[in-house]
Amino acid sequence: MLLFRDEEHVGRWCTSRGVPRRPLVTLPQLWELAVAWYGERLTPAARRPMGDEVREIFARVGLVGEFWELG
Amino acid sequence: MPLSDDAVRHHVYTVTAERGRPPRVADVASALGMAPGDVAAAFGRLRERRLLLLAGNGEIVMAPPFSAVPTPFQVTSGGTTYFANCVWDAYGIAAALGRDADVEASCACCGEPMALAVRGGAPLLADGETAVAHFAIPARHWWDDLPHT
Repeated sequence: MLLFRDEEHVGRWCTSRGVPRRPLVTLPQLWELAVAWYGERLTPAARRPMGDEVREIFARVGLVGEFWELG
Repeated sequence: MPLSDDAVRHHVYTVTAERGRPPRVADVASALGMAPGDVAAAFGRLRERRLLLLAGNGEIVMAPPFSAVPTPFQVTSGGTTYFANCVWDAYGIAAALGRDADVEASCACCGEPMALAVRGGAPLLADGETAVAHFAIPARHWWDDLPHT
């Protein structure tokens, strides 16, 4: 996952590398993902989100569509 | 006597949060009074649970979101410097620590420096700055090659 200045820079990078353009993620969405994924990581009972939990996180953050499906 | 894998994992994360880097097998063994082989075995099982990424020598490469090696995503929080593999993990470090943080990053296209911050539990950009993230690999394949997601 890469960080870009803006959408135009994403397009330029994808074109130069021949990489398909994927859905973009805003910083507030990324922060929500980070909190959901890692917010409890320093606690004794920490665990990694799995399966339906990940699907629920993606949906809550607004990341929906085939790209975000887990297979 | 071996401790549980979760006790080992919690120690690894506690040390990483304090010092900025994950500890080595020998350090964990010494701190927890375990045999190095038992620590290495615990690391291996934690890798299977996708909670650690290990190098070929069995040492920690990533205790997500923390990187054991310097990366282009440097996070400073509470006077300690950390490294993350991507901006998601950089934010993840701030989220895990529960503290304000400053992130030094750069645009993947032009290489221009980008300064991100977390203040009071929210992401912050300087006035006039913009930023967006792009995942190159669909979610179902993220763990095939995590550092290149």
